[in-house]
Amino acid sequence: MLAKNVMHYSYVPVNANVAIESKKSRTINNAILKSTVLNILVFMFVLSVFTVNAAEDKFSFDTPAQRESFLTLTAELRCPMCQNQNIADSDAMIAHDMRRKVYALLKQGKSEQEVIDFMKSRYGDFVHYQPPVTAATLWLWAGPVLFIFIALIVVVRRKSIAPPVDMAAKLAKADEMLEREKE
Amino acid sequence: MKKAPLVAIPLVLFSLLVIFLFKGLFSDPRELDSQVQDKTLPAFSLPDLMQPDVTYTPDDLKGKVTILNVWGVWCVTCAVEMPYLTQLKNEQDVHIVGLYFDQDLDPDFGTKTLSRVQQEVTEMLSRYGNPYAYNIFDVYRDTSLDLGVTGAPEHFVIDADGIIRMHHVGDINERVWNSKVGPLYKKLVAEASGNEGEQKEVDVEAVMSNNMNAQEGE
Repeated sequence: MLAKNVMHYSYVPVNANVAIESKKSRTINNAILKSTVLNILVFMFVLSVFTVNAAEDKFSFDTPAQRESFLTLTAELRCPMCQNQNIADSDAMIAHDMRRKVYALLKQGKSEQEVIDFMKSRYGDFVHYQPPVTAATLWLWAGPVLFIFIALIVVVRRKSIAPPVDMAAKLAKADEMLEREKE
Repeated sequence: MKKAPLVAIPLVLFSLLVIFLFKGLFSDPRELDSQVQDKTLPAFSLPDLMQPDVTYTPDDLKGKVTILNVWGVWCVTCAVEMPYLTQLKNEQDVHIVGLYFDQDLDPDFGTKTLSRVQQEVTEMLSRYGNPYAYNIFDVYRDTSLDLGVTGAPEHFVIDADGIIRMHHVGDINERVWNSKVGPLYKKLVAEASGNEGEQKEVDVEAVMSNNMNAQEGE
């Protein structure tokens, strides 16, 4: 949501520049251009107002903290239908229903964790973007650490142990050859 | 010879990676573990779609093995499976109850009236056949949410004690019925009737042997 917002605001100066340039170069079309740019600006503004409220729909909150919780939760909860979207972004019916449910639960005074647990008990761990540490997901964290650890061991062992062994063998071989030469 | 195992390590790791990725080709990311499996139905108190005065609770689904079918007139796959469900009801006396919900995006500000919904449902059922014993109207879609429904059609096989024994996402066709839903349904019916008395167990065996014959036939 925020990203969309920022985009709309950043468009505004671009259009303003166009307006200034046109003033300098073409005086005849000035009035027409000015009105078009103005129209676009107004349109952008209207659009941005709408996008600000898109995720919140017609929800009204008791406190700013509650609104904050709602925005965090709808961003953290995953839509079971369109699997790579959170429920704030998704337009699937189930996402609408889940937003409504999150809102209702928050209004009842439930904490963020309670809302997450509520959704998890219905749609599984899948529904939350933060996976819990279980036997199956442990590898997500342990894997990289284990890899670095094993790699370090291999590197250290290669550097410290391998050369002396080789050298000792070579020295022994050289000694042997010297012995034979003497004979 | 001493170095052979070391050379094998990358090969083994690569093979494991290939097996892992190969398995990934056939995994369905939409397949979610149902959270309601082996649990009782969540509490609800919902009206009948056609007679809003009648109210249903989970207790109404006890005493008989039921397939709860989540559907709506807007759902194309539901229309596709409806003739087959009707056939199941007529030929095998399968007890199917509909959990109907409408797609109107916001029930609080919905524009559809109940009579309009009823009219659409009647039209659709007269066209494709009516497999339902009755339809429960999930007005606010709360019960669907409690059941972990993500869309339609979805099916819940509920045993005689009101415990959900299977959550099947997607339609029921002949293949799904014969390989997945049907066997469980028949087993549950057999269990339920087995509790009632000796006489019906004979039927169960007959059904079972019929199944065996059918399988051999295939």
